[in-house]
Amino acid sequence: MTTRCPFASRRGLLAATGGLLATAAVPLVAHASQEPDIEPFWGDHQGGIVTPQQRHTYFAALDLTAKRADDVVTLLRSWTVAAARMATGDTAQPLGADRSNPAGDSGDALGLPPSRLTITFGFGVGLFSKDGVDRYGLASRRPDALVDMPAFNGDQLVEGHSGGDLSIQACADDAQVAFHAVRQFVRLAYGAAQLRWVQSGFLPAYPAGETPRNLMGFKDGTINPKPPFPAVWVTDDGPAWMRDGSYLVTRRIRISLEHWDRTELDFQEEVIGRRKYSGAPLGGRNEFDTLDLDAMDQDGNPVIAENAHVRLAAPEANGGAEILRRAYSYNDGVNFTAERWPPWHQGLMYDAGLFFVAYQRDPRSGFIRIFEKMAKLDALNQYTTHVGSALFACPGGVQKGEFIGQRLFEIA
Amino acid sequence: MRPPAPLTEPIGSFIQSWARPACALSLKWVFAVVIATPILSGDARAAEQKGLLETMKRHSIITSTVPANGDQNPYAIVVAPVSAGKIQQGDVLVDNFNDRNNLQGLGTTIVDYNPTTKKLSLFAAIPRNLPQCPGGVGLTTAMTMLKTGWVIVGSLPSRDGTTKTKGQGCLIILDVQGNVSGTLTGPNINGPWGNMAVIDNGTTATLFVSNTGFDVGPPDDEPPVVNKATVLRIELSIPEGKLPTVTKETMIASGFGERADKDVFIIGPTGLALGNDGVLYVSDALGNRIAAIPNAATRADSAGTGREVTKDGLLKRPLAMIMAPNGHLLVTNGLNGQVVEIDPQSGTQIYARWVDANKAQSPPGSGDLFGIAMAPTGDSFYYVEDEVNMLVLAH
Repeated sequence: MTTRCPFASRRGLLAATGGLLATAAVPLVAHASQEPDIEPFWGDHQGGIVTPQQRHTYFAALDLTAKRADDVVTLLRSWTVAAARMATGDTAQPLGADRSNPAGDSGDALGLPPSRLTITFGFGVGLFSKDGVDRYGLASRRPDALVDMPAFNGDQLVEGHSGGDLSIQACADDAQVAFHAVRQFVRLAYGAAQLRWVQSGFLPAYPAGETPRNLMGFKDGTINPKPPFPAVWVTDDGPAWMRDGSYLVTRRIRISLEHWDRTELDFQEEVIGRRKYSGAPLGGRNEFDTLDLDAMDQDGNPVIAENAHVRLAAPEANGGAEILRRAYSYNDGVNFTAERWPPWHQGLMYDAGLFFVAYQRDPRSGFIRIFEKMAKLDALNQYTTHVGSALFACPGGVQKGEFIGQRLFEIA
Repeated sequence: MRPPAPLTEPIGSFIQSWARPACALSLKWVFAVVIATPILSGDARAAEQKGLLETMKRHSIITSTVPANGDQNPYAIVVAPVSAGKIQQGDVLVDNFNDRNNLQGLGTTIVDYNPTTKKLSLFAAIPRNLPQCPGGVGLTTAMTMLKTGWVIVGSLPSRDGTTKTKGQGCLIILDVQGNVSGTLTGPNINGPWGNMAVIDNGTTATLFVSNTGFDVGPPDDEPPVVNKATVLRIELSIPEGKLPTVTKETMIASGFGERADKDVFIIGPTGLALGNDGVLYVSDALGNRIAAIPNAATRADSAGTGREVTKDGLLKRPLAMIMAPNGHLLVTNGLNGQVVEIDPQSGTQIYARWVDANKAQSPPGSGDLFGIAMAPTGDSFYYVEDEVNMLVLAH
């Protein structure tokens, strides 16, 4: 979290395609050597939301096992302190000198630079009530916007990739730094919370100024919201503790790469709505040409298909709805998979795709509104399967001396 | 998208402009077929109308067929002949073969689309494990609604989405509220699969059902073709207010090829359609032919694989089939997105038309077209696009 404009000292937006599959969602992949190595932790907003996107993420969702609200507060206090330390490249806790006890840090990031580490904490529905039980006296303070995510057409959600009472998004330019951070938080949570699911992700190391390609081979930047991000930050339209916060939607989207690789190039471009090699929108010539959704060909057909991914995801097609995409590619080996489309291939296939991460002021007018239609109509649905889903309320930033989400617990 | 030129059948030269579909939900590949250059293969130069397909101007997406439980892969289409219980006359019933995980042979739902209200509702959610139905429930393309309101639907179930765990299945009888009221099982019923042909006299009815489960094993390696698929005639007595009961079963055709398949579960005779002359037409998927079974309603013996009406040509693994009011057969292909119109009297393949040119499949539209049914007006037909779980109207 930072009070300075995160884009002010960086390249401008590398606007390219929008859509769920916006790998470099904020096309702000900074070349490490050109960027400050430390992202500030304290401030009005949490880091890792509008922060220029780092190369790696390690995301964890946890279930609370704590019996009392005080135990949750204790956990969040320890997490806050550790996050602030690690953002500067320090250990999560002092290592200590007592060799007869575990050290204050696992040590696997010793000597590594801070790598622009950001930690973004979120609260899931389970913090407020779980199985109908108000464990921590917070049920009445559940924000209206923290809805139960609706079932979308084609969802094949796996329990092990969905939900959670708490979330931790660690992003860094070094994969080990990101994993190290989550590992410390989980260690600090012993007895109070336990892992529910994790997901790692990566962005390609394209040179500065060049839009990265996603696993489908398409240049994939974004038409993302711009400063001051009215579509991202909660203001006075929610509980006070959520002011300057944001709602986080994660979707683990498996891409049928084998199926995609067997698809004709022109159909791939039709599905996406852009040229594969240049990144230009269909009907345009250059990557950064405007998406012209009204353009028709000589036969009166829309140049960008009615069911093209970029059209259905565009704000113009969704009543102006916007979300800040901050997604990462993932590659988790192979799994047995039954494809959702004829000819219904079954067998070992890549478990790879997109770990979709989006921040918004209100998911009801953000992701849910946009994706309800896309889930039914997007041509890309023939290649993608959503297997994980979660929604978290990420409170505003932390001032020194406070802990994350303190205002929620103060009024409890 | 344009209909893919390399797949154009022996050409025809009947190319005309088509009106834009009015439906806002139309997908581009549907647009394309309609708007661009639907190609009717064969000699259609003559001014006179050769068949039904050339009169179709639009393909309109009607509805998604996915119910709340997420079932996928729409199969059978039945247009309700009467109003009864949850169903209004003219409603379109569609069943699902796959569950929400897209495993084949685990779908348990039938949805009901009302063309007047344009709303989709759930007609039936059948328990996955139905003790009276060996192996469980996975709803197939065998479905009908009788004038008495009973809905009868076939089950060819699996536990893992492949024929490795295939059960014998059954025919399930549902009341007008979509509740299971009974099942039909027995040694003659094994994997009731294909579109059901029906003679419905109210208090009696005759069902024609293809069975593709006999001795079909797992889909490992290269599963053999087993020539044991049958067509069974089931005669029902339906006393007023009582459950239909079987009065007689007769195997009227047998020896069709059937085969397990790793990708498409099972391949076997899928389309059954009755002609006015008492002939039952069978789409023999593996034989790539249409067969005729004479005297289907009365014969006491098996006609074997029947008389060959037509073979190969425009047919690419024929699947769903209906009899159009003009006496022609409309047959969907399994290996592309075309419907073929056939004059069964002469055996002539008149032409074929792309109704699904979706290039996400190769060839376009392959494996998508399992259900087809004439609309009540007789000048249009419904079909399902399995790949996008949509009900579409060609009109």
